[in-house]
Amino acid sequence: MSVILAKNLTKIYQETAVPVKALNNLSLEVTEGEFTAVVGPSGCGKTTLLNVLGGLDSPTEGTVELAGTDITQMKESKLIDFRLRNIGFVFQAYNLIPVLTTLENIEFIMLLQKVDKATRNKRSLELMREMGIEDKASKRPSQLSGGQQQRVAVARALASKPKFILADEPTANLDSVSTANLLDIMAKLNREEKATFVFSTHDQRVIDKARRVVTLEDGAIVSDEIRQ
Amino acid sequence: MMLIKIAWKNIWRSKGRSLVVIGSIVVGVWALIFGTGFMNGFIVNYMAEIINNDISHVQVHHPEFKKDLEVKYSINDGRLKAEKIRSWEGVEGATTRTIVSGMISSAQKASGIQIRGIDLENESVVTGLDEMIGEGSYFEGIKRNPIVIGDNLAETLKVGVRSKVVLTFNDGNGQITAGAFRVAGILNTSSVNISERYAFVLQEDINRLVGLGDQVHEIAILLDQQQEEAQIISRYQSEFNGDLAETWREIAPELNLLQEMYGSMLYVLMGIILTALIFGIVNTMLMAVLERFKELGMLMAVGMNRIRVYFMIIFETLFLGIAGAPLGLLFGWMTIKYYETYGVDLSSYSEGLEAVGYSSILYPYLEGNTYIIVTIGVLFTALIAALYPAWKAVKLKPVEALHKI
Ligand SMILES: Nc1ncnc2c1ncn2[C@@H]1O[C@H](COP(=O)(O)OP(=O)(O)OP(=O)(O)O)[C@@H](O)[C@H]1O
Ligand SMILES: [Mg+2]
Repeated sequence: MSVILAKNLTKIYQETAVPVKALNNLSLEVTEGEFTAVVGPSGCGKTTLLNVLGGLDSPTEGTVELAGTDITQMKESKLIDFRLRNIGFVFQAYNLIPVLTTLENIEFIMLLQKVDKATRNKRSLELMREMGIEDKASKRPSQLSGGQQQRVAVARALASKPKFILADEPTANLDSVSTANLLDIMAKLNREEKATFVFSTHDQRVIDKARRVVTLEDGAIVSDEIRQ
Repeated sequence: MMLIKIAWKNIWRSKGRSLVVIGSIVVGVWALIFGTGFMNGFIVNYMAEIINNDISHVQVHHPEFKKDLEVKYSINDGRLKAEKIRSWEGVEGATTRTIVSGMISSAQKASGIQIRGIDLENESVVTGLDEMIGEGSYFEGIKRNPIVIGDNLAETLKVGVRSKVVLTFNDGNGQITAGAFRVAGILNTSSVNISERYAFVLQEDINRLVGLGDQVHEIAILLDQQQEEAQIISRYQSEFNGDLAETWREIAPELNLLQEMYGSMLYVLMGIILTALIFGIVNTMLMAVLERFKELGMLMAVGMNRIRVYFMIIFETLFLGIAGAPLGLLFGWMTIKYYETYGVDLSSYSEGLEAVGYSSILYPYLEGNTYIIVTIGVLFTALIAALYPAWKAVKLKPVEALHKI
């Protein structure tokens, strides 16, 4: 079943002096359980694509269907709610709420979704264990390393069992050990929880762990390769 | 719940900045409480002094009397009426006066005054005149025609206790009459009228001189604290009609004006101080929102809706007020309590103040509900101040705020 179905996406940034075509008639389908890397040179449109797929930005042309719902025409207030219920986000930085602990950050999305306390606790503990951060439950983000922070972010994104998770360069600020570590955890969650990941990266070692690699150039897909 | 928790924690992220705002709220609230108490004290003391020492709550005259203070316009059976009034409920005291305008002269000087022929015992009850005696005594020790005058008048006339003075006035028949009096006591008071414009003599002495028999010109009535003046007026009019009975508001309209000022003082001060606070709070919250743009963008990206973001900022702002207001109220309350006991000594400025009728020790006065009004005012201010920053926060677009997801 496809969780993402993007058709003929074109995104033109008009605000600049010279309009920039960041996506050029791009179509993409992602099915449940995939572990997909979006790669390509800087400026090829990776971030733009993920923004559009996540309903954070609207395409100039084309449609985006997420889990069977067309979000292209959705109002912002509905979109926020749609994102809350269906999409997990991991950003490059500024993922966590600085004043909350690890546990509270992981529970945050579930809280917004009004998940009951018992379920929240159970799920958070389970994820912290899988992430190897159970001893950091009461630490603030500032007390964690970059790699640990990103693991908390992944745990939070995953906690509410979204349809898929979008991660734009989640490892960009990490050293190679933390990068490998985070990718291993994501891959494991992909296998064990059937979590669907779409992430962008520059990093060859990250690309190597992906099972599907979509390569962009000038806002269009130039190769789409599925590996074992 | 979680919003409230996050909001509360957020205000401590930038401790210094929040403390400055909380501090200014504390100072603002304190100033509001103290300023209001102080100014109200001024007004209340001033009014109480004039009412209790001079004009009383209700005065009765012949309808024509006040125009020219003509001797012939006396109150019919004034003394009898006063006697009855004294037994009314809500009446603290009632006294009668004969009022004649005239001149007082000593060997050196002369001065225009109002001669007040008083009923010693009841005058003490109504105005406490006997307690104002600074030198000499309250009409004692002088056998014939004793007179009591204020300290300023005594100074002008250069007279002391036992000095002889002459009163000159128009009697009931248009004849100029004079009488020799001897000073029994000198009054020490902050009231301008009493200290330089009145001269007090025994009612029977002045009545004999003007040929008024036992008639009087004025009945002054002092009421119990809670007694409504209007009620006494209507009772007077229903029991004895024909006379002009007025409350202190009509007798001294300027006091009425003061009382209105008293009511609005709090709001005027509150308007000034809270407006200043609004700017401080808006500024701080705007900074807090702007420097957290990325974080707010993230929150909205992952699904925190605008209402929640909005309320988070509102709560943060309210918490600044909630943290500051109680301290300010406490300090204000302590300051008021302290000065209620010890008074504010204005003696270094009192010469100027006494000239317009203020006493030199001031006691602040504050009604209990002021604290509640101030609290509501501060929280309301915080709420107003929160609107713009919160709106700013809600207006941001997640993609722009985050730049990159
Ligand atoms: N807000 C914007 N306004 C104008 N042009 C933009 C905006 N965002 C991106 N672009 C342009 O669109 C193109 C695609 O940018 P995008 O950020 O999607 O690339 P990217 O593949 O994510 O690059 P990188 O690897 O550097 O993150 C670039 O030419 C960029 O300059
Ligand atoms: Mg990018």
